[in-house]
Amino acid sequence: MRLARVSLLLAFPLGALFSQGLDPAQLLKPPTDTWPTYNGDYSGRRFSSLSRINSSNVTAMTLAWEYRLDAGSGTLTSSIKSTPLEVAGVLYFTLPDHAWAVDARTGRQLWHYQWQSHGGIHIGSRGFGMYGSWLYFETPDNYLISLNAKDGSERWHVEIADVNQEYFSTPAPIVIRNHIIVGVGGDSLDVPGYLESRDPETGQLQWRWNTTPRKGEAGAETWPNPEAMEHGGGMTWVPGTYDPELNLYYLGTGNPNPVMAGQGRKGSNLWTCSIVALNPDTGKLAWYFQASPHDTHDWDAAETPVLVDGEIDGRPRKLLAQSSRNGYFFVLDRTNGKNILSKPFIDLNWSKGLDAKGQPIGNPAKEPQPDGTLVIPAQGGAANWPSPSFDPETGLFYVNAVSSYSLYYLTDTGDKPEGYGGRDSGVYSTVALKAIDYRTGQIRWTHDYKRGGGTIGILTTAGKLLFTGDPSGNFVVYNPASGEILWHAHLISTVSNGPMTYELDGRQYVVVGAGDTLYGFTLLQ
Amino acid sequence: MKTLAALCLLTAASLAAQVPAPPSAPARPRFGLISRAVPDPAAVERGQKIFSANCGFCHGTAAQGGDTGPDLVRSPLALDDERGDKIGPVILEGRAGKGMPAFHLPADQIQDIAAFLRSRQQAAIDRNAYTILDVVTGDRQKGRDYFNGAGRCNTCHSPTGDLAGIAKKYDAVTLQSRFLYPRAAQIRPQVTVTLASGQTFSGTLDYLDDFNIALRDASGEYHSFSRDARLKIDIHDPLAAHAELLKGYTDSEMHNVLAYLETLK
Repeated sequence: MRLARVSLLLAFPLGALFSQGLDPAQLLKPPTDTWPTYNGDYSGRRFSSLSRINSSNVTAMTLAWEYRLDAGSGTLTSSIKSTPLEVAGVLYFTLPDHAWAVDARTGRQLWHYQWQSHGGIHIGSRGFGMYGSWLYFETPDNYLISLNAKDGSERWHVEIADVNQEYFSTPAPIVIRNHIIVGVGGDSLDVPGYLESRDPETGQLQWRWNTTPRKGEAGAETWPNPEAMEHGGGMTWVPGTYDPELNLYYLGTGNPNPVMAGQGRKGSNLWTCSIVALNPDTGKLAWYFQASPHDTHDWDAAETPVLVDGEIDGRPRKLLAQSSRNGYFFVLDRTNGKNILSKPFIDLNWSKGLDAKGQPIGNPAKEPQPDGTLVIPAQGGAANWPSPSFDPETGLFYVNAVSSYSLYYLTDTGDKPEGYGGRDSGVYSTVALKAIDYRTGQIRWTHDYKRGGGTIGILTTAGKLLFTGDPSGNFVVYNPASGEILWHAHLISTVSNGPMTYELDGRQYVVVGAGDTLYGFTLLQ
Repeated sequence: MKTLAALCLLTAASLAAQVPAPPSAPARPRFGLISRAVPDPAAVERGQKIFSANCGFCHGTAAQGGDTGPDLVRSPLALDDERGDKIGPVILEGRAGKGMPAFHLPADQIQDIAAFLRSRQQAAIDRNAYTILDVVTGDRQKGRDYFNGAGRCNTCHSPTGDLAGIAKKYDAVTLQSRFLYPRAAQIRPQVTVTLASGQTFSGTLDYLDDFNIALRDASGEYHSFSRDARLKIDIHDPLAAHAELLKGYTDSEMHNVLAYLETLK
């Protein structure tokens, strides 16, 4: 640790260096002219203290620029799922195999980088992490790539997982001091999940935390045998959050494998479908809370664990809140993982209640069946990777919640299923923006959309505004206290990333991605 | 795992004369669920027979492992393999420490085994191709009772009218999800929009969000309106009853209704 700090100082001898880069210390209290990490800051609240655009003038918000992705001769395989970073007037964002820098004031492209892929499922890329003048992102074929922020030139790449084993990586790396924290994905063929910390200068491994135990380790008692846990899944799909005072990194882990056939992995299957707290210097587990013990519905608990500094029974508390894919809203004490609240935020039909730790108890009859069982929610879940938001001024947690029905089929009834071992078939869904009181789990207001769809990312600001997309392709601003609509614009397609904001030269910009286009909005001048 | 792969590469080099050569130009990677080359079905069929005869006793005929041999569907080595380059040396040399004897198979047979294993891996990976088992498990008499009773399906539907022959039109799996909630593209809500002036427009709902509404009238003409407080909108959704029923079905009611609908051939 001491050595690491020294090398950090040597690497950044002068403040002036940061005119183009990002001092990791800035991540502790980001200035308002930057959005330096996936969630804007370590808390995952996606609440900005900016208020130049506010409830009294938002009707004058208008398009400042738009940037339609130019991949040169390359192919685009996903919509914009990345939340751009904004540092020193430049936006940095990614797609599978592609990365861009564009001017944050004009949307003008500064550079484009393309990776020559070896394969892997190209489902999406959540974006960059940044350290000094270096950028880091992950590819579907599981390379961690470091680019020079100045010109997009490649500095190095290291392999973090093997594409031949069916891993494919999606998360945005998170930078904590001199740790580049990277996750892996891939649920097709029962590979084990892990989280790694890599050296910012070389990409070398600092530590690895396995999401399932190995033979003889703690947690092994929740699996029937070593083979099951070594093929037990638990991907680390989505970036986590960090409390610098406690020095804990919070992460939601993926679902167990085989995904829908649980008969070969009887037990609660730790640490899949869990919210975990890790020491970012060592990768050691401090505590866990399992959102879905023995999941068989593909309901990972990867949704952002949002850090809330709140009050319970009149006492200030360090809390963590998650709107989980299984339909439960969880509030935990983030110092120790103790459950404070577990309450569904949709009408679900698979739970028999809560155990002594506040963890849901699944109804075995609602596990996938050979002839089908009708379950709420569908495989995509009540929430998913798109970012929720917590507004400390309203005390409300916001999520675009999906109420969906699906038939879950067990297709492999053998003792040792592989892969998914089952299928689901979506029947019907509705979506609503919900404002949840973190103290009670009560839904204070709901805005029902007029059509079904998936969940969409959210941003709140001190301007008393909530920004999100609807399933019809509108970018909409709401009053976060009441749910009243204040402004909207119809975009080229549905909002596909989490909106973000920053201020430059006294102007506030709100940037959102929809399909293949990034939009920058600001006030009319 | 990396060390293991590297070791096997070394072994492969020393056995290069016996091991099948990789194809000259690797295929362009694909970015979907199946991202690697799909093996030739004839090679898979030959490989299955060779595997079953030589390897099945320990590894199971489906390569999922047995009492003495590991699972090869999820084996890191078999997954790293390309046309026998990794499994070839293991087959030819055996694994003395683990009780696996050497099998002196010709290169083309090793390639066929590799094709069979890749096919098994891809069958496990390709979840969209999994076969759904028998879904017609309910009690058709109880299903009929539900149809005419608690479900009130007979309010809108008739087994001799709109549902006559429904089980011939759809396979049972499709019918199961379609009766729960029919595809909305085929059955659109009807809408009447009344302007502040009192003028009305009626037709099939074409678009609806918080800000705009659009319909097509009987002549096919498209009309769109901004939604404001003075605009009156009346929507009749013929599928509303299906959405409502979803909240209450037990799985046995659902299976019984399907069993009844399956009699309508």
